[in-house]
Amino acid sequence: MSLTEPTVQIVDDDRPFLVAASRLLRASGFAVKTFSSASDFLAQHDTDAPGCVLADLQMPGMNGLDLQSALARSRNPLPILFLTGHGDIPSTVRAMRGGAVDFLEKRAPKEKLLDAVRRALARDAGEREERARQRELRARFDALSERELEVLSHVVRGRLNKQIASDLGIHERTVKLHRTAITTKLGVSSVAELTRLTLEAGIFEASATTCPKGQ
Amino acid sequence: MSWVTIIWSTIASACITLAGIYLLVWCRNRTAWVNLLFSLTAVAAAGFAFSELLMMLAETPGEFGTALRWGQVSIWLWTVSLVGFVWLYLQAGRPWLAWATCGLRTFALLPNFLVGQNLNYREITALRHIPFLGESVAVAEGVPNPWMVLGQLSLVLLVIFVSDAGVTAWRRGDRRKALMVGGSVVLLVLVGLVESMLIFWGKVQAPLTVSPFYLCLVLVMAYELGRDVLRASQLVGELQASEAGLRENEERLSLAVDAANFGIWIRDLARNEIWASDKWRKLFGFAPSERLELDAILQRLHPDDREGFQQTVGAAVGGEGRYGAEFRVMLPNGGIRWISSHGRVEFDVNGQPVRIRGASRDVTADKQAELETLLLRQQVAHVGRVTMMGQLATALAHEINQPLGAILRNAEAAELFMQEASPDLDEIRAIIADIREDDQRAGAVIDRMRGLLKRQNLTTQPIHVDELVGDVRALVRVDAAARHVKLDVDIPGDLPPVRGDRVHLQQVLLNLILNGMDALNESSREGRRVRVTALLDGAQTVEIAVSDTGSGIPTDKLTHIFDPFFTTKPNGMGMGLPISRTIIEAHGGRFWAENNNSGGATFRFTLPIAEEAAAK
Repeated sequence: MSLTEPTVQIVDDDRPFLVAASRLLRASGFAVKTFSSASDFLAQHDTDAPGCVLADLQMPGMNGLDLQSALARSRNPLPILFLTGHGDIPSTVRAMRGGAVDFLEKRAPKEKLLDAVRRALARDAGEREERARQRELRARFDALSERELEVLSHVVRGRLNKQIASDLGIHERTVKLHRTAITTKLGVSSVAELTRLTLEAGIFEASATTCPKGQ
Repeated sequence: MSWVTIIWSTIASACITLAGIYLLVWCRNRTAWVNLLFSLTAVAAAGFAFSELLMMLAETPGEFGTALRWGQVSIWLWTVSLVGFVWLYLQAGRPWLAWATCGLRTFALLPNFLVGQNLNYREITALRHIPFLGESVAVAEGVPNPWMVLGQLSLVLLVIFVSDAGVTAWRRGDRRKALMVGGSVVLLVLVGLVESMLIFWGKVQAPLTVSPFYLCLVLVMAYELGRDVLRASQLVGELQASEAGLRENEERLSLAVDAANFGIWIRDLARNEIWASDKWRKLFGFAPSERLELDAILQRLHPDDREGFQQTVGAAVGGEGRYGAEFRVMLPNGGIRWISSHGRVEFDVNGQPVRIRGASRDVTADKQAELETLLLRQQVAHVGRVTMMGQLATALAHEINQPLGAILRNAEAAELFMQEASPDLDEIRAIIADIREDDQRAGAVIDRMRGLLKRQNLTTQPIHVDELVGDVRALVRVDAAARHVKLDVDIPGDLPPVRGDRVHLQQVLLNLILNGMDALNESSREGRRVRVTALLDGAQTVEIAVSDTGSGIPTDKLTHIFDPFFTTKPNGMGMGLPISRTIIEAHGGRFWAENNNSGGATFRFTLPIAEEAAAK
């Protein structure tokens, strides 16, 4: 099941506030889902649904900060907004370091709350788009054979066909063939574009330095 | 050489020797007239012994008469010097008796030289030789001179004078002197008188032997005087010993004074002079040779302490006799030194102050420690206050913000729902019901906090309001001084004790006084005053008021100051007054605020008086 509409997911153990907040957000035109504990939310957490999380910082059992780190590790790391009855400095600092969009008192002005929710949803949309792009790029690079990847690693480092052939111990014409296959599969027309795409996909980030030279 | 010659010569020379010794004593100490008088007495006794010897050895009546005539001169000298001796030595006697004795004796010298052969004989007809001490000595036969009565009368007067002086000395307590000098003079003069009367009136045929008695008298007198000389030399020895002891004591004292860091001073009020030890000069920052003037010393005192010090010293000089004071001294190098000074005033017989002696000590370190302790205590109290209120505030804020947040969100949602073309009335009803419920929830939080105070934290006991205020005053004294706030306390002495929890009431008072001082931050230094008063309000209640001279509470805020989180201070929590009011109401009292007519605000609260006091 996948929701196409972004949903504000509210997590608060204080039921009256949960109800009131969901009413306000619904009346303001947001899709809302409510959860009365962090574990309930994580159990039903959709792996793909867009939206954001509005969570109480102080909750019995799993508190807001625990929820934040669990969410960040999940496959759908929704942006999180914290609400608190009375915030203290150490937990505020921790929440913001953990990437919280905002940190609001429960009696914060409505506009401030709605702005924060909108900002969170916008951030989710952006991140989601970025993640989709990454996934699509990865899929394209996945189509390359191992030899083609090897050749690509040399190409993006600016080495000439002759050098690559000598490095890999193959014929220069074979190198040219691999390069044609790579540009076709990735749908690029220039070496510059190829290099940019490779960097964006980040496929050599971990292994670029250890790339075998005299193999 | 006959025995008579030997004995009488010995008597004479013994007397002369003693006379010489005491004449020397008198020469060394010209004020000791008694020694001179003794010498004269001894010389007279020697002279008379010589006359007696000449009489006994006389060959013709003429020789006998001449010896006796000059013997009378010795008797005159003897009498006069003896009267003087007794007069000075016993420090007693009637002057008229003394003058009568001397006068009569002197007058008797006239017939001695003018009438007959001498005072005793008108005419000596013959000499008879009788055996005496194994040889033959001369005795006179002739007509007694009636003028002799004058001399004998003067001797009787001498006896009366000495007896009288002796009795006076005895009564005064000088029993030894009275007995030795007075007793022996009376006895020996009487014996001599009786003997000479018997002989001169012709009743007995015997040589005149008065001088041995006089020698005895001279010996007794010499013995007495010798005791005095001995005692004087003993006194000199003792004086030397005590002087050495005194010096030793002085050394010890100065050692102790140095060890205790005392500076010593003496102020002579009559001569208006001040002497001070080097240590004292160092303490007050004066050079060792600098002349000390009272005004210059007073100028060294811190202006805030000067008046108080002068009053203290004034009271001591005015009759209290002692004083102790602590004050600050401003050193020439700009430093400040705390001095503790103690002094004693000496008065003359008329009760006029003569001089003041005193010791001063540097107590800067003690004062520093005292001040630090006070500051620490004040900080502890402040931390306690902040912690208690801070904890309550945090708990309250969290608990109350939940329902308040829900109410806010519900109201906002309802507004939005209402803006729709066809509002969902069921939804709106549900919202209103929730709002009501949340309001109750918020109220319950506040009730719970009050219940907490009522049930657990109040341990009530009878408390004296002046003690309560005194406790808090001690806590804020340093703070008040630092902020130049004058804290006045006016509690009637006959106020009955109230019933309450000491710690909680201290918190309330502390909070109100500190609030009052906060309100004065903008005021001029001179006008900064916080006043704590108390009065009996009816038979059962005491009203305590804390007022300040600040700018008062703006009228529009007067109704809100007891609301939680309402504050006019930049970093206030807005919990002091709500908690204070809760505490007072938990005690069964009332708590309110008002603005003064003369400016500033007054916070008042009532407390029930303790039952024991109310029952009286």
